[in-house]
Amino acid sequence: MQPKLKSKVRCTDREVGEVTRVIVDPLSLKISHIVVGGNGVGGAERQVPMSEVQSVTDDLVQLRTASGALAQFPPLKRDEYVTTHEVEIAHLEERLHVQPGEVLVPLPALERNVPRRTFFTNLTHAIGALVALPFAFPVLKYLMKPMYAPFDNRWLKVGNVNRIKAEDVGVQFKYKKIVKEAFMPEAEVDKNVWILKASPAVLEEVYKGKDMEFRDQAGRLVWTNKKDIPYVVFSGKCPHLGCGYKWRKVPKLGKEIFLCPCHLSIYEPSGKVLDGPAPRPLDPLPIRVDAAGNIQIIDIEFKAGTKAQTRIV
Amino acid sequence: MSAQPNLLEKVIAFVDERVGLKTLQAKMLHEPVPGGSRWAYVFGSCLLFIFIMQVVTGILLMFYYVPSADHAYASTQYIIHEVDYGWFILSYHFWGSSAMVVMVFAHMSQVFLWGAYKSPREMIWLVGLALFGIVMAFGFTGYLLPWDQRAYWATTVGVEIMDKAPIVGDFLARFLKGGPTPGQMTLSRFFVIHVMILPAALMGLAGLHLFLFRKAGPAGPFRGTPDELKAKTDYFFPRQVWKDMVAMGAVFATICSLAFIEPVVLLEEATPDPGEYHPEPEWYFLFLFQLLRLKIFSGEFGQFLGGVAIPGAFMVLLAALPFIDRSPERNIFKRPVALVGWILIMTSILIFTVSAIINREFLD
Repeated sequence: MQPKLKSKVRCTDREVGEVTRVIVDPLSLKISHIVVGGNGVGGAERQVPMSEVQSVTDDLVQLRTASGALAQFPPLKRDEYVTTHEVEIAHLEERLHVQPGEVLVPLPALERNVPRRTFFTNLTHAIGALVALPFAFPVLKYLMKPMYAPFDNRWLKVGNVNRIKAEDVGVQFKYKKIVKEAFMPEAEVDKNVWILKASPAVLEEVYKGKDMEFRDQAGRLVWTNKKDIPYVVFSGKCPHLGCGYKWRKVPKLGKEIFLCPCHLSIYEPSGKVLDGPAPRPLDPLPIRVDAAGNIQIIDIEFKAGTKAQTRIV
Repeated sequence: MSAQPNLLEKVIAFVDERVGLKTLQAKMLHEPVPGGSRWAYVFGSCLLFIFIMQVVTGILLMFYYVPSADHAYASTQYIIHEVDYGWFILSYHFWGSSAMVVMVFAHMSQVFLWGAYKSPREMIWLVGLALFGIVMAFGFTGYLLPWDQRAYWATTVGVEIMDKAPIVGDFLARFLKGGPTPGQMTLSRFFVIHVMILPAALMGLAGLHLFLFRKAGPAGPFRGTPDELKAKTDYFFPRQVWKDMVAMGAVFATICSLAFIEPVVLLEEATPDPGEYHPEPEWYFLFLFQLLRLKIFSGEFGQFLGGVAIPGAFMVLLAALPFIDRSPERNIFKRPVALVGWILIMTSILIFTVSAIINREFLD
């Protein structure tokens, strides 16, 4: 039990006064001293350590000391202390029980007999839900508006085959794509693909003896790349995590390959993964070449990082 | 001296009566720090300071910046080259973000090594982890905004990594990009997240973090008997405040110097064609970037492992830490697993970051 303020203080021989204040240790949150004031201590308030306290009851603090020995305890120097209102010590208030009794505040008359308190609480939640729920779906739809754009299967001109001088060499074709995004004016975006004139061996590796089909969202056939057309176009997007890759001579390998500078995936001219973290070969796109050698492609993008191709654009 | 209060004292008394300023001030400043103030405790205050400066410089940047695909780059260039001291405000904001990440690591390390996340401070630690996530999200959303090549590619790759999260990945990636590929919608979304959502979240959670910290009280050092601690105890003001102020001054001077020595330079405007540029994220994501180059994280599953599962598991482990590690022992030299774990993680982050930097020259 903690000593209460205003409790009587009794020495071994007689009553000496009362507890005028208590002193709390800021770290242990325990009462370290009581301050005893009154006639028996000669006018001055004295700091008595708790080790001198023998027992504490509701209104009496019994000390081990004789009243004559009280003078050995130092008088309180008030300016060496601050009150609990001037300092922040976590959990101090809830551990201090030095006030005798409770401090009460009257409950307002209107609050004394409120039935259905739970009902009112639940009603508050219900109104909250009534506001939030009809809002949730519109908000979701509002934010999702641009997320699933339809596929664009337009043919885009990217250049002429006369730029390709040798077989099995990656040649970058840059082209402008006109995009119209939401409220924005039409804008030209720089894009690029890699095209190579494949030797029969590489062609075989790309097509594995089968024509390659491309489909739209509904699964309808959009185009078929014939397996014997030697021009192969790869999407400029690395199938690992979507960076732009390059055609590089690697002295160590003694040959030229496709290299993605991001996570160092390396692909053979056929698009096959030679090394690095890529999960699948480069993505061939639909290509058609007219009699004059002009190349057209469909700009398809697949999701990066997956083993299977998932078309997203 | 007359007993009559002068005008200033009257005003102060008026406000104090209505607000309780003096009590508030006393409560704020007079908090016993067990074992006394220390330089090791400055990181939290420094974070708050850096954040406030990021808010100030961020608001200033918005006076000129336009978050649209056709103006973001030009308006940022305008800030750098045309607006008086624009280069400085932007560079301060740029280096401030790096300082924030450095300071978060320092703060978390201090709390971890001091065992200050243990009971009864678990909630402070959990809110702190959320704040860590917010700081990283600030970095990620922030560097898209100049709309240069670095911005574009870092975002492209970053969002592709999120796409690998199970179930919600595809939705999350499309939601952030506002479509299947990065564009205007991505810029709009990142802008709103960067200047509205994240600051609001950070302010709320930082407030909660401080409230919980005050509720539990400072942990103090991990060594020393109660009597030793008591003998060295002082209040937050003035010694700790002084140390905090010196540290903040040093942080400010460092960020300013960096802004002067290495002002922000934009790369080419963003396009889906990287040209000769080798995409790379900001330095504090380099270790993750390098991690994903490893052979063991190749293929679809490897990517999920390196990009989502391992970072996710690491965050879960950090969150579970105060509940797994229930021993009251806080001395780091008596917690060998914690010490070795911390050294391992810090060293691997360092090694991966350095090897990403070394890798650069092999690409050119």
